[in-house]
Amino acid sequence: MKKQTINFELNGELVEVHTEPSGSLLHLLRGQLGLLGTKEGCGEGECGACTVLLDSQPVNACLIPAAKIEGKQVQTIESLSNGDTIHPLQESFVEKGAVQCGFCTPGMVMSAYALLKVNQDPTPVEVKEAISGNLCRCSGYKQIEEAVLDAAEKIDQGSRED
Amino acid sequence: MSYIIASDLNQALQILRDSKGQARVIAGATDLFLQTLPAELVDLAGLYETTQLEETGGLLSIGSAVTHASAARSLLIRSQAAALAEACAMIGSPQVRNIGTIGGNVANAAPAADAAVALVALGAKAVITDIAGQTRVEAVEELYAGYNRSTIDSSSEIIGRLLFKSCAAGEGSAFMRFAPRRALALPLVNAAARVRVSGRRIEAVRLVAAPVKPAPTRLFETEALLQEVIPGPEIWPKVEEAAAAEVEVRGSMLRCSEQYRRHLVGTLAGRVLKEAYQRACAAEGGET
Ligand code: FES
Ligand code: FES
Repeated sequence: MKKQTINFELNGELVEVHTEPSGSLLHLLRGQLGLLGTKEGCGEGECGACTVLLDSQPVNACLIPAAKIEGKQVQTIESLSNGDTIHPLQESFVEKGAVQCGFCTPGMVMSAYALLKVNQDPTPVEVKEAISGNLCRCSGYKQIEEAVLDAAEKIDQGSRED
Repeated sequence: MSYIIASDLNQALQILRDSKGQARVIAGATDLFLQTLPAELVDLAGLYETTQLEETGGLLSIGSAVTHASAARSLLIRSQAAALAEACAMIGSPQVRNIGTIGGNVANAAPAADAAVALVALGAKAVITDIAGQTRVEAVEELYAGYNRSTIDSSSEIIGRLLFKSCAAGEGSAFMRFAPRRALALPLVNAAARVRVSGRRIEAVRLVAAPVKPAPTRLFETEALLQEVIPGPEIWPKVEEAAAAEVEVRGSMLRCSEQYRRHLVGTLAGRVLKEAYQRACAAEGGET
């Protein structure tokens, strides 16, 4: 396929790319745009390492044809920290020991982030459901679940203090 | 060589017409994207016409590009077509459900596609329009040409929506699957049922299981056991036995043996029928 121009919003900024329309969003992000936070595990929708938000919904970037994002909002793990401070979710992942090799972490955090956007007070079951599309080879998931619940609490306290 | 996001159904048909068989329609493309993509693609995922979900005059109309996630969340589908909501909630993973569509689940023609199995149990028909402007309405189970092969030609035909009667008073439906894991796993067997009762007596029943044949398969003999019956506890073991005996299933080295699959068909058939029956009885008073 010949290259097409695609306009979309990436982490809050409008971008225009000239790219292979049927290449994956994952390869566009990592290869062409140099955003290496989003990981490629299986490349076929089975592991969730490539999870990004498309119009606020978590999706597998490896399954999205680049041309599909025309006019849409894409949010990657890079948007969660400004370089100085990190997101409460990232803080909780570190504090609760939810990161071992770290390869699944960006995807896990994005799935959890999508959950907390719509549900500020999730139950453990809701957390498990939200990360059910993300495989972790190392952790056994328990610490990840704890980290997400902990972050939800932090965010809740933060909003009460404001 | 192009990827076009269609703005409406007519435009999509026009592109197909102009491309003379080269272009193909896609929606979520979660399965197709892993194969070699055709050179010209028309994306239907965002069309107004194909993403509507509505009920008029007791008829549910589900746009073909409604995602599994929105179907699973929809209060309308959960109350009027529980089997479909349950099936959609179990497909793939949350990420896949946000992209994959109901029409795609049918057109992809996988033998045990969860949404398609539920749709067949509900009695759904697909409304298909072709590039000549003709529209036909066909039962979902008639759309299978073989394993993973649909009768729908995606270079000249588009599924616009799926239609079926909503579950009214005295009706219930249910879907269940058995898979090695609760997420990110294909089912070894899935089954769905729709039951209508009157005074606890079963007046109408549809039972579907897969993978049995290329298409989701009705189990007519098992259905007949329940016709005009007020089921008591003794009937469910018989139903399980009949369903297991009725199907011709295949084992596979990778997934499970023929005997195990047969056992699963029996067990799940019994469970979905019982669940659909109980829901139908609970909905008899008019509450659904
Ligand atoms: S890399 Fe996308 S799901 Fe595994
Ligand atoms: S921390 Fe290693 S895969 Fe999850």
